Amino acid sequence: MESDMGLIVKTTARATIPLIGIFGSYIVAHGHLTPGGGFQGGATIAGAGILFLLAFGLDEMKNHYNHHIYSSLEGLGGLAFLGVAMLGFSVAFFYNKLWHTGPFLNGKPGTLLSAGYLPIMNLAVGLKVFTGLISAMTAIALYRRWKE
Amino acid sequence: MKRTFGALALLFIFGTLLVVASPQHGLKFGLGGNDWKNYRYTDQYYIDHGVQEVGGMNIVTDIVFDYRGYDTIGEATVLFTAIAGAVALLRPWRGDENGE
Amino acid sequence: MIPFQFITAFLLIFMGVYAFLYKRNLLKLILALDVIDSGIHLLFISFGYRLENNVLPTAPIYTGYETVKAPMVGPLPQALVLTSIVIGVCVLSLAVALTINAYRHYGSLDVNKLRRLRG
Repeated sequence: MESDMGLIVKTTARATIPLIGIFGSYIVAHGHLTPGGGFQGGATIAGAGILFLLAFGLDEMKNHYNHHIYSSLEGLGGLAFLGVAMLGFSVAFFYNKLWHTGPFLNGKPGTLLSAGYLPIMNLAVGLKVFTGLISAMTAIALYRRWKE
Repeated sequence: MKRTFGALALLFIFGTLLVVASPQHGLKFGLGGNDWKNYRYTDQYYIDHGVQEVGGMNIVTDIVFDYRGYDTIGEATVLFTAIAGAVALLRPWRGDENGE
Repeated sequence: MIPFQFITAFLLIFMGVYAFLYKRNLLKLILALDVIDSGIHLLFISFGYRLENNVLPTAPIYTGYETVKAPMVGPLPQALVLTSIVIGVCVLSLAVALTINAYRHYGSLDVNKLRRLRG
């Protein structure tokens, strides 16, 4: 069953997939200033990946997808989340060491480089959600058919 | 006939729950001025001291990642386990009987 | 009178529970689980509304452009519902994977026919 979806859908998908990716990255990166955060932005970027899978068919998706990179990125996101939470371990488990006494993310509240470990956690969770959802959708689409 | 009885019984149960849970005739969850100070002082603490202690202007992200961070770790674990289980269920098994 | 958010939430839960009890296709049961989740999330968020003496509240976020000082809605139910939405997605993905495998082994999606455990 040849499964890509005509010329109009493919042209529109080529135009809108980068825009969805940029907008999703904006939602993830400004999670401590505007409504949004890690989970919402990760789901939006996964929407761009699913649009690619639907518009261009399964054969085109098999050329661009290798499951080793996606699986290791998901583990990396989880480990980065735990590693940042353990930074202030001398006081408490989730102590915000980078905001109270720290060199890096220490600016005025309301700018982009502020709020301690919140931007790093947003990026880690966004990566985890995005790679997990695309792996699950591709596994459902690649399931071996039995009588066809 | 049985379906109609079932639907009417469910509607009656949910109507009773609706009257119990509404904030005017039933349980009070603290809408309004004085009740908010009595029952919802945790919310007021997060709104007042959120920017100074954590530094982010979005109070909801503040709560999810700093004041209640244990719940987010548990949720990340559940997400990882569910995706791993779903991908592992959809792999070709060893005892496949058709050769395609 | 009862505010309309509660009526909508309970109507959604009622429709989801009715479909879960009386339908026979497996995919319709999975969709009913999702509708019940949506009703519960709406009910939980609408417990955080706050109406002082005729002043409408605002969202719990500090932009720099405020002109009118208004009380903020409670932010704690929104944080709990965020976690619950993600867990709902995980349960649904596992259910769909199990349904695909069940269809492959039994040949039909009818719940009354999937009774015996076959090897």
